[in-house]
Amino acid sequence: MNEMLETMDPIISARGLTKKYGRTVAVDNIDLDVPVGRIIGLIGPNGAGKTTALKAILGLATFDGELSVLGLDPSRQRSKLMEDVCFIADVAVLPRWIRVWQLIDLTEQIHPRFNRDRCMEYLAKTKIGQDKKVKHLSKGMVAQLHLALVMSIDARLLVLDEPTLGLDILYRKAFYTNLLNDYFDEERTILITTHQVEEIEHILTDLVFIQDGKIALDCSMEDVETRYCELMVTPEKADQARTLGPLTERQMFGRHIFLFEGKDKASLSELGEVRTPSVADLFVATMEGGAT
Amino acid sequence: MNRFLALLQREFWENKGALRTTPIVIGGIYVIGALMAVFTTAHIDNELYTFKEAVRLAAQQSVDLRADVLYQMLLGSSVFFTIVLWFVVFFYLLGALYDDRKDRSILFWKSLPTSDTLTIASKLMTAMVIAPAAFLAVLILTHIVIALIGSVMILSVDHNPWTLFLSISQPFKAWGMIGLTYFAGAIWALPVFGWLLLVSSFAPRVPLLFAVLPPLVLSGLQIWIGFLRTFTFDDNLWGIIARWFIHSPSILTAQVEDGDPRGGVALGVPLDDKYDYSVTAANVFDRLFSLEMLVGLILAAIFLAGALWFRHRATDN
Repeated sequence: MNEMLETMDPIISARGLTKKYGRTVAVDNIDLDVPVGRIIGLIGPNGAGKTTALKAILGLATFDGELSVLGLDPSRQRSKLMEDVCFIADVAVLPRWIRVWQLIDLTEQIHPRFNRDRCMEYLAKTKIGQDKKVKHLSKGMVAQLHLALVMSIDARLLVLDEPTLGLDILYRKAFYTNLLNDYFDEERTILITTHQVEEIEHILTDLVFIQDGKIALDCSMEDVETRYCELMVTPEKADQARTLGPLTERQMFGRHIFLFEGKDKASLSELGEVRTPSVADLFVATMEGGAT
Repeated sequence: MNRFLALLQREFWENKGALRTTPIVIGGIYVIGALMAVFTTAHIDNELYTFKEAVRLAAQQSVDLRADVLYQMLLGSSVFFTIVLWFVVFFYLLGALYDDRKDRSILFWKSLPTSDTLTIASKLMTAMVIAPAAFLAVLILTHIVIALIGSVMILSVDHNPWTLFLSISQPFKAWGMIGLTYFAGAIWALPVFGWLLLVSSFAPRVPLLFAVLPPLVLSGLQIWIGFLRTFTFDDNLWGIIARWFIHSPSILTAQVEDGDPRGGVALGVPLDDKYDYSVTAANVFDRLFSLEMLVGLILAAIFLAGALWFRHRATDN
């Protein structure tokens, strides 16, 4: 992380964040700092506590521990917080009875940072009719509509919880392209959870893995590149690679693939082909208890 | 303020069917009924002979009597509107904090910078002001249309509708009184509104059952235990609710007491002597400044605080 960012207060800061449902601990004593101007992928298996953590951050759930978002306490100051935070849960949360123009009118009246002209510009690029009810739009159109609303709000933090769930590949691609080209800048922060890791990995600046309510990995993408590498070797050299202490090993097309942490890439490349692991591979390795 | 108006707007949009279409349908039934009466009369009354006689007889009555009858008719015609209004508000409030949890759109509403307090206030305001105002507006329109139809009929038999009834009716007094009882009725109903919002804020499903079953079961138990102990049916929750209903400052029934000069429509249901049931502003305020009302307001405050507590914690599951 560069120096300027380090001197700024984190946009989200959690200390000992915990959320229990009865005896189940959904979020277990999390410490997290999210600096301004980053795109963070919050990744974890089903039931790991991602959505619960997001809900705490958005003031949608009570919690134990300390949590500050934009300097506010989300559970007490949700209304104030939402002036600077936008949130897309998944494609299905826009009220189904509402008409597009009513939705725009309401958002304009309620949201101090909403820009109607921008919203109209985005919508003009879609096939969404102003007089249509949300329930008569396709899933993809609802996602486009919600994104158009959110991108027209000058917010500082955007939280996306599985925003492209159930959309086809074209909509998913367009969704992230729009987000990156028309919305993101150094002053904004985006927090994303999704199962489709492959699709967002190239836009992320930071990775946070959650497992069983705990943070399993928290590092920037640059760190991923320097810290982790994948070595692909032929079976003859597999034993030699194993002596170097890989985190994981798997086989593909008769080749052995090893994941290493903190090893010198130049020396590894003498054994075989070295590359940066994909987020998905790193995720699997972390969940299996390898990486730290 | 702007945000509050926007939230009210939202409630109106979302509940257009209940708040706008329903009263229009009732008004339509009145108007169609009036037109059917006109055509039936025209069809079976030979050259409108009977109708002419009736108008002639009516014209002979004193102005005072005609004015009184007209006033009672205006008030009486509101009863159907009032009862439907109560049903509409009942189901509106049951769904008010439940529907968006069920369809998950609460996640969208809570992503807007509005507080839960403001949200609940907008729902309460819709039940107490917007709904009665919508019903009252359509009722007034219905009165005007029916007065026009009546005037045409009376003109057609060469009488002057202006002197016969238009000039002596007191529509503004009647509308004012109906409006007063609508809003007073809403204040009177606050404990129930609060209860419905509370149920709506936490019920995991079928809020109707959660709203109706607990008081029913509790009353049933009270009646049973009371009967076992004393073999009488003393005070119980059901009795309290029933009494609360009959004391309502709303025009709900006609007062039929032999020899009672007041006669005509009545506030609530005149079954006991606790209040005066004739429709006057003084009697409406008598109820609003009663001990019963004070207890009701305290209950309403408790229920609403509960609703707020649940709403604060509510998400999509």
